[in-house]
Amino acid sequence: MSDTVSYLKQQLKKNFQTYAIILAMIVIWILFSFLTEGRYIGPQNISNLFRQMVITSFLAVGMVLVMVTGNIDLSVGKLAGFVSVIVARFQADIWFNYIPNHEVLTTIFSVLIGIGVGTVFEIIQGYLIAYLHIPAFIVTLGGSWVLSGGILIITEGKTIPANQPVFSVIAQGYLSPTVGWIVSALVILFLIFSMLKSRRNKVKYGFKPLPMAIEVIRLVALSVLIAIYVAIVNRYNGVQIPVMLLAVTAVVMSYISTNTPVGRYAYAIGGNREAARLSGVNINKNVFRVFVLMGLMCGISGVVLASYVGYGTIAAGQGYELDAIASTVLGGTSTLGGVGTIFGAIIGSLIMASLTSGLQMLNVPAAWQYVLKGIVLVVAVYADVYLKKNR
Amino acid sequence: MLNDIILDIRNVTKEFPGVVALDKVSIQIKRGEIHGICGENGAGKSTLMMILKGVYPWGEYDGEILYEGKELKLENRSIRQASDEGIAIVYQELTLVPNMTVGENVFLGREPKTKTGINWNKLFADTQQILDKYHLDIDANELVKNLGVGKMQMTEIAKALSENAKILILDEPTSALSEEETERLMEILRVLKSHGVTCIYITHKLSELFKITDTVTVLRDGRVITSQPTNQMNEEMLIGQMVGRKMKERFPKSQRKPGKEIFQVQELHAIDPDDSSHEVVKGVSFNLREGEILGIAGLMGSGRTELVSTLFGEYGKIHSGKVLLDGEEIEISSANRSMKNGISLVPEDRKKFGLILIQTIQKNISLANLDQFSKWYKIDFMSENTATSSIAEKLAIKAPSLSVLCQTLSGGNQQKVVIAKWLLSDPRILIMDDPTRGIDVGAKYEIYKLMNELAERGIAIIMISSEMEEVIGMSDRILVMCEGKSMATLEQNEFDQEKIMALATGC
Repeated sequence: MSDTVSYLKQQLKKNFQTYAIILAMIVIWILFSFLTEGRYIGPQNISNLFRQMVITSFLAVGMVLVMVTGNIDLSVGKLAGFVSVIVARFQADIWFNYIPNHEVLTTIFSVLIGIGVGTVFEIIQGYLIAYLHIPAFIVTLGGSWVLSGGILIITEGKTIPANQPVFSVIAQGYLSPTVGWIVSALVILFLIFSMLKSRRNKVKYGFKPLPMAIEVIRLVALSVLIAIYVAIVNRYNGVQIPVMLLAVTAVVMSYISTNTPVGRYAYAIGGNREAARLSGVNINKNVFRVFVLMGLMCGISGVVLASYVGYGTIAAGQGYELDAIASTVLGGTSTLGGVGTIFGAIIGSLIMASLTSGLQMLNVPAAWQYVLKGIVLVVAVYADVYLKKNR
Repeated sequence: MLNDIILDIRNVTKEFPGVVALDKVSIQIKRGEIHGICGENGAGKSTLMMILKGVYPWGEYDGEILYEGKELKLENRSIRQASDEGIAIVYQELTLVPNMTVGENVFLGREPKTKTGINWNKLFADTQQILDKYHLDIDANELVKNLGVGKMQMTEIAKALSENAKILILDEPTSALSEEETERLMEILRVLKSHGVTCIYITHKLSELFKITDTVTVLRDGRVITSQPTNQMNEEMLIGQMVGRKMKERFPKSQRKPGKEIFQVQELHAIDPDDSSHEVVKGVSFNLREGEILGIAGLMGSGRTELVSTLFGEYGKIHSGKVLLDGEEIEISSANRSMKNGISLVPEDRKKFGLILIQTIQKNISLANLDQFSKWYKIDFMSENTATSSIAEKLAIKAPSLSVLCQTLSGGNQQKVVIAKWLLSDPRILIMDDPTRGIDVGAKYEIYKLMNELAERGIAIIMISSEMEEVIGMSDRILVMCEGKSMATLEQNEFDQEKIMALATGC
């Protein structure tokens, strides 16, 4: 038992920042729930809130690794926007002319094209940054102007509809309550299975696994959270497809960041570029790879964006890069590189969405929403700096 | 005058959770003396400095510090307040703005004003006056980035003096200096002393303590072991008091037998990758045998570091000459390539080039060897853990666990982490660039022992060293460099300090 307690203390100290931000989120939720007399945590609002955070979350997830390497990407908002208008153009005009009446097939094509466009654009930017050593700030600033032009060219200044039923499922679909429960049960089973496997592995290599009590507590807590979430959203429309997409993407990216050399190298490059280079890490190649991953994320984000709003417009993606950066920083990613987690960025993104949603419910004018969000971001980062210094 | 105490540290105790960093430390610093403080890493020197800097402010430690007879209550202030009190610290890592002139740096933050702005004439005139008064041979209008390390440090000293410092704390001031520059610094300290400035001189280098200090204080495990006039001590006594045991020999014996020749460098010329007109290696030839330690001696700027980083593939562009491994010419293009050839480099300045301080010991050790542990782009944590634990144990890295961040380790342990990283890649040739710089006597001894063991196992070691005694004590042969050229390779029976110095300065 004392083992368990000391482990928990150690974890609390180690992941202090993560817990602090989760706490901040809970405070925000409680506050808004009071102010809105409980409507804030009602099924409808929760469901919408999670759906709203998805698009910038994809960008934030990619941004984590970019910032961990000590770079930045100012083009991601416009790139997601550009992808969304390209996809809308294909949905509205091109498929209709060449392969009509194949909605599922054309949706798949649209997704692939969207992801492809995002990736190719970041391959170009990544090459300029990683191999030609042009500062990322400049390359992506230039890139975002190029994309603004691209959006105008594709849309010709008009709005393009992308509200075809099958395509809309991507961002507006829901799992039926039963399917939602089945999926969550599968996820929980998978968690149990992987916990047991990792314990077995540890024993095999002669390491002491964590006390069973801790693993069980963690597992139960996680399962309960999943169950509560599913129960709440099932009272509205069900588990949202885009949220599932985000969860899967975040798990994969998180895996890449911690369990693969690509991720490990990204943190090493951001932590000490010279030491990484002298350890045989190919800096150029690994920075490039991180930007390619960012491109993938922009592609997915753009597709979801088109499906979410149902059309492509000239304002698509405007300002999303700053939301993504803010979410990442709120989630504990260092602007200096070397530090940051995917999970943190998701929570950061959730906080931003929670604020927006709460302020909207309270009918705060848009102007003041901006002011408040700006203050919250700066204060949050200050609190982090302050706590780190005085811990 | 003789018993005029300017700084009286009385029973200062500082505890951290689980450790007593300083245990009733009392030191009396006399006015106008040069007071040496030495001790192994972890002895409490840095904690004491942190208190004098005010990083651990008054109230966070027990005991008192009297300055000019009054209690010194340092708040958590920046460097500024220390200068108000007249205590200035010359930092180990230099804190100057490279793109500003010496004068601007000296008066940074305290520029003399006219009605409308900065009084530049006064600023430069005052700076020059200070520089001249203390015989610091620097032009106040020179940009700091154009100065050598030695002169940068003098600029720092001038800055402290311009703030009317009465006590100057020098923390490892010579760790980046060549022997010649060290000599210059010693002269300047004597000038300062003649002007009545008190100096606290912290160093690992015992020869300097004997050369310059009036009093030596030895710290060990947070306690003052001794504090007495330097002329009553000798080197052996001092080492004995620092490590708490009699150390008969500073360099461990080894029975290694160098084997066959495996590596050859012939007339190597290389240029600075950022400035193709600048040749950094101007003709170096040597060979290396299995299981030997080849020392490279030379002053700062002799091209030692440039040579080894070029051989590792991470610095200079080779434009002529040959590098042969097992008699065959090898391609030198990147660190990765060199590792595959079995060449590893423990770089100079472990904090800057060797470690990722914000990451764990384990991640640092495995960084250069992730391919070993990865299948299908996936890191196998278990085999990573097994390999890093076993090597950490072998090198006796002292830490509660491998998930401790490297920034919390002592210098000696940090260096071991860097060495562990490179041993994991199983090198045939291990290049070590100043491996014992800034670490204490005990840790040095352990590193030496480790080097001997590695050589006995057949690894060929190239060791750069700034310390003459170390290079003579450890090497089987010594390559002497001067201004980018290899001057000679000396066999053991030719080792002689004066001979090496003559070669290193004779081009």
